[in-house]
Amino acid sequence: MQQKLYMLCVEDEADVLDVVVRELSVLEDVFPIETAGSADEAREALKRIEADGDALGLIFCDHMMPGENGVELLVWMQSQPQWKPSRKVLLTGQAGLDATVKAVNEAGLSHYIAKPWDQDELVRVAREQLSRYVAERKLNPLPYLKHLVMDIVGDTLRASSASDT
Amino acid sequence: MPKTASSLKKPIGLVLGLGALFFMPFLSLDGLSPSGHVALGIFVMAAVFWILEPIPIYATSMGVILAQVLLLSDQSLIAAWLDRAHEGGYTAPPYTLFYGTLSNPIIILFLGGFSLAAAAEKYALDQNLTRILLKPFGTRPVMVSLGVMMVTGVLSAFMSNTATTAMMMTVAIPIVGMVPKEDPFRRLVALSIPVGANIGGIATPIGTPPNAVALAALARQGTVVPFSTWMLMATPLVVVTMLLTWWGMCRMFKPQIERFELTINTTFDRSPKAIGCYVIFGLTVLLWVTEKLHGIPSGVVAFLPVVFLPAMGILDKKEIRGFSWEVLWLVAGGISMGLSLSQTGLANWMIGQVNWDGFGTLGLVVLFSLVGFTVANLVSHTVSATILVPVAIALVLPLADGDVTALIIPIAVIGIIVSYANILPISTPPNAIALSTGLIDSKDLAKSGLLVGLLGFIFSIFFGLVVWPYIL
Repeated sequence: MQQKLYMLCVEDEADVLDVVVRELSVLEDVFPIETAGSADEAREALKRIEADGDALGLIFCDHMMPGENGVELLVWMQSQPQWKPSRKVLLTGQAGLDATVKAVNEAGLSHYIAKPWDQDELVRVAREQLSRYVAERKLNPLPYLKHLVMDIVGDTLRASSASDT
Repeated sequence: MPKTASSLKKPIGLVLGLGALFFMPFLSLDGLSPSGHVALGIFVMAAVFWILEPIPIYATSMGVILAQVLLLSDQSLIAAWLDRAHEGGYTAPPYTLFYGTLSNPIIILFLGGFSLAAAAEKYALDQNLTRILLKPFGTRPVMVSLGVMMVTGVLSAFMSNTATTAMMMTVAIPIVGMVPKEDPFRRLVALSIPVGANIGGIATPIGTPPNAVALAALARQGTVVPFSTWMLMATPLVVVTMLLTWWGMCRMFKPQIERFELTINTTFDRSPKAIGCYVIFGLTVLLWVTEKLHGIPSGVVAFLPVVFLPAMGILDKKEIRGFSWEVLWLVAGGISMGLSLSQTGLANWMIGQVNWDGFGTLGLVVLFSLVGFTVANLVSHTVSATILVPVAIALVLPLADGDVTALIIPIAVIGIIVSYANILPISTPPNAIALSTGLIDSKDLAKSGLLVGLLGFIFSIFFGLVVWPYIL
């Protein structure tokens, strides 16, 4: 069974979460989407993904949320070996300089999207980050290829498909 | 979920295969020597394992060699039994004979091909050649598709079909992806690449492993086909089938855009190592295609790049580790199986089970090609050739009656036709890559695959009957 590569969207405002999920749904045939309204829910979602033997390719995370904030969640993920390789994107309007610096230095932040974002930006960033995930982990890109960026995964594709049988 | 069928496939394969290996020797089949029974067990196990894949196909090939060493060689664990069972004792072949298949000249030929391909890839020679060779085809969409198909074909004649497809996809997809979704041109180009790669591999002995299977079987009968002779036979066939396939595909997937430019942003690397790579690549290919003039066998020439590329630092150990070693095992296992098929009399016994009278060589070729074509669509091309060619050659041998031409042609046709079997996504790795781009669906692949298969079948036999007798 092919390991599924998830996208996780964490956002406390339900209508914003809806928009994010709707925009990303063009990728959903290959990369299933999980959603969470808080850091705690995000941990639950991660547990489910792990229990199914699947992996997380990418997390889109809001910063200002009730309870634990987004950057803290990302820093925690960076300390967990199974979530360290996942690409981490902050999707926020209100992360201050300190929080942003912390996200870059301690959470290995991959990308920062400021609200409001441009049309298509989310999908473009998702494709790019998922491509980097596949390339860095040297996964066989074939199952995901239709949504990946060829310039990023080209070498991985060539390395993983050398032989005729 | 169709999960049950696929989850049962492995255990069934394992039980059937191992069952054959253990129980065949206890049967007493009329006219088959005791060692032939053992070889039959190994052969059936290999065929079942190769087709149902309870273990990887290359592991099966390694297992074939191990089984032959442990059962049929002078190191056999059942030597005493074999000796008693055979009247007058059993003459066991040395175990080194089976291990030796891994250094067969055909294997070394492939090793040379791997070295060249790795160097070409490292210094982007493949991409630069693509850029230069595509230029004359201009910007008319149908001509671009012909260019893509032809260039893929040329490269895959010297590199693996799969690696060539991956390379072409990486340069073509980002640009083709910008064409509007409803324009069939997207599908035309995305199909031109696997079609070009699958057909192009036929053109040279090193193009694709089934060629090696056919050539190795012929070599065992003392008939060594020079590199240039194979190319003279196969290249016109490749060109004809490719052109006709392109013509048909342009009708099935008529482009709407007026103009298309496939720009590839690469420049020739002019570092000393890159130039060394170009020189060695060019020299090796030149020596291969002129084999008839200088008489140095292609298997000897092939060792030059194997030595000189690492010696000059053009390839390092990382790239040597990256060779498709499993393909060499796959071919070696097939060669090894062929040894026991003939040595134990198994091949002749199998043939004796059917009354072939009145079949004639043509009938045999058509029958074996049909079976080979069907099997190759479902499983690996190499496996299909490996199972069929040793049996076919035992049949053709008495009919050819010492006539080399009559031996080469049927075996080459059968070996080549398996490469035309590309109907399903699983038929070949290039198809799987093309499908995964999302530009085409499996129905598109089936359309182009049927066309390729039909043309390949007809023209391979036509060339075998009409053209090749003049070349050989």
